[in-house]
Amino acid sequence: MKPRFLPTEKQKAWLSVLVADRVVFFPAIIKDQVHWQRLDPGMLGAADAPEWGLERIRASEPVKSFFFNPREKVATFPDKFVSPEPEKRVLFGASACDAVALRVNRKMFVEGDFKDEAYARRRAATCVVVADCPSPADTCFCNLVGNRPFAGDEEKDEADVALSVVEGGWVLEPLTGRGEELLGSSQAVEATEAQLAARQASREAAGKRLAEVNPKRFAPDTADRIWQRNQDKEFWSKHAADCVECYGCLMACPTCYCFLLYDKARGQGEMERTKVWDACYIAAYARVGGGANPRAEFVKRFYNRFFCKFSHFKTWQGMPACSGCGRCTAVCMGKIDVRKVVLDVLQ
Amino acid sequence: MTNIFQPISAEIIKTIDETPNIRTFVLRPEQEVPFLAGQFIELTMPGFGEAPFTPSSSHFNRDLIEMTIMKVGRATGALFNFKVGDKVGIRGPYGARYPLEKFEGRDIYIVGGGVGLAPLRALFLALTHEIDKYGRVFLRYGARTPADIVYKYLIPEWEKLKKVDIDLSVDVSDEKWMKKVGVVTCLMDEIPCNEAESIAVVCGPPIMMKFVTMKLLEAGFQGQNIYLSMETNMSCGLGQCGHCKLGPYFTCKDGPVLTWDQVKGIPDPFV
Ligand SMILES: Cc1cc2nc3c(=O)[nH]c(=O)nc-3n(C[C@H](O)[C@H](O)[C@H](O)COP(=O)(O)OP(=O)(O)OC[C@H]3O[C@@H](n4cnc5c(N)ncnc54)[C@H](O)[C@@H]3O)c2cc1C
Ligand code: SF4
Ligand code: SF4
Ligand code: FES
Repeated sequence: MKPRFLPTEKQKAWLSVLVADRVVFFPAIIKDQVHWQRLDPGMLGAADAPEWGLERIRASEPVKSFFFNPREKVATFPDKFVSPEPEKRVLFGASACDAVALRVNRKMFVEGDFKDEAYARRRAATCVVVADCPSPADTCFCNLVGNRPFAGDEEKDEADVALSVVEGGWVLEPLTGRGEELLGSSQAVEATEAQLAARQASREAAGKRLAEVNPKRFAPDTADRIWQRNQDKEFWSKHAADCVECYGCLMACPTCYCFLLYDKARGQGEMERTKVWDACYIAAYARVGGGANPRAEFVKRFYNRFFCKFSHFKTWQGMPACSGCGRCTAVCMGKIDVRKVVLDVLQ
Repeated sequence: MTNIFQPISAEIIKTIDETPNIRTFVLRPEQEVPFLAGQFIELTMPGFGEAPFTPSSSHFNRDLIEMTIMKVGRATGALFNFKVGDKVGIRGPYGARYPLEKFEGRDIYIVGGGVGLAPLRALFLALTHEIDKYGRVFLRYGARTPADIVYKYLIPEWEKLKKVDIDLSVDVSDEKWMKKVGVVTCLMDEIPCNEAESIAVVCGPPIMMKFVTMKLLEAGFQGQNIYLSMETNMSCGLGQCGHCKLGPYFTCKDGPVLTWDQVKGIPDPFV
């Protein structure tokens, strides 16, 4: 599908069309951080509207929050619960690592033995526009986990349009039929060679920057090497030492898929079931009835996270359950950097 | 739209007190739950939580589904206050069944401890229902005291079945106890089947599973023929929530029954 170009002066008109019949979220810069924000029609052109962060790195909030809700009612008893019809949405300006994270979510919630219909329907009702990252941050390591800072054909399972900010406007490449349709409501014209060259140059610069930030690669046998270290308490304790067990890394993580089903009493013989995000660092996570706990020691839980993401998921699904987004590093009070831990395993 | 988190309703139609803290619940689900021996279900105690249990009844008779449950905590504690006529919820079946086709023609050596006999009963009933397909069925069962033995009223019937051999032990006996005294491994000093060929199936408290497995390996059973019920923490039962992970396995999906060959590389598999 041919890349288009939408000049700056025609962007507002397009966004007005989009926001008229669906809910649009965009990356807003708030106190120098990128946060997802709902686009109100009134924001378009308003002087006090938050600045758009299309050229910044991923938003602080993990993209899964849009589909895998932090807290969601999923069942009732004895009456049967049906989840509400999802609204039509556009995530306008996700990052490439977000698309990869959505792939992990899909493998867990849609493509396994059982399909979470509520997740699948919300996802299907949402169009994702991925904006290139021209300036990866020090925390970014998408390149170490097999990804790149922009979307193309390889990301079309989770990205509908690839957006690149260039001189004078946006280059927009539809990656799916749905993306094509979305672009249909804009006045974009075919992109010129010069515009595509500008996009290419910016992507290469971002790639170079990532290579500078992450000079050491993850070895192809990372998964095995992590598994082989499963008894090395000394090693994992050393890295876990500064963890304060706040679970921030896991709550910020777009690929962590753990959840807990929690039942509340409603009336006599009635209940309401809530699905809430969970975190494998929590002490009671693996505790069994009666109290025995296979991961009572924190170091085992700490190891479990690395094993789950960089070893088990890789062996099982052919990709690590990590998008390289660096959110966990950014939020960590103990300054624990996952990629350094993995690199240390490979030492 | 199917909602994978939504239980169906089941009525408690009978309860049987097995021991002071173990009770069998006979349930009539609003629609058939197509489980096979080895699979489990998620039982909702409305308002008190949901927990995994393995049906203890035969998969050849599914109008009623029985579960034998030990009172250990919040949800199971609440369940013991439920009465005949009350409704509970069921999701499932989940997990992998016993690969009975691999058991055909072989002796099957079943070792249970405590409430661990409950899931094994579903297997035992499936095997004895079609006993001509299999070799002999040995059942070795240990409980803490004679009062802690489940299915006391059924064991004499089972002993009469053809090709079935049962032996029991208790850790602490009373004056009426005529069988062995000691932990269940004391029943395993002589194993009257061809160890290299036979199937062993074990379910019980983790420490018991550990020692029984060691004993089976010592006796010459093959790791791929030792089937262990790995009862980890579970939440969803669907292979999604992560709670049941044991090394590279989701016990709710790949298990709960895993072979020794599958678990032997996992650090401390029995905790
Ligand atoms: C495959 C499988 C088959 C089993 N089969 C049997 C069987 O046949 N018979 C038998 O007696 N036992 C069986 N068990 C064990 C049984 O599931 C546990 O004993 C039961 O879960 C204990 O629940 P409880 O709430 O009473 O215990 P608790 O100790 O109170 O809780 C157990 C765990 O459940 C979670 N939990 C507790 N309350 C909540 C809540 N409100 N919301 C969310 N999570 C909560 C916690 O993680 C806690 O660690 C089986 C277990 C498995 C995995
Ligand atoms: S582990 Fe860290 S870097 Fe990887 S996806 Fe999760 S938050 Fe991002
Ligand atoms: S990890 Fe890569 S894709 Fe994600 S924000 Fe950083 S540069 Fe962009
Ligand atoms: S119990 Fe949820 S993944 Fe196994």
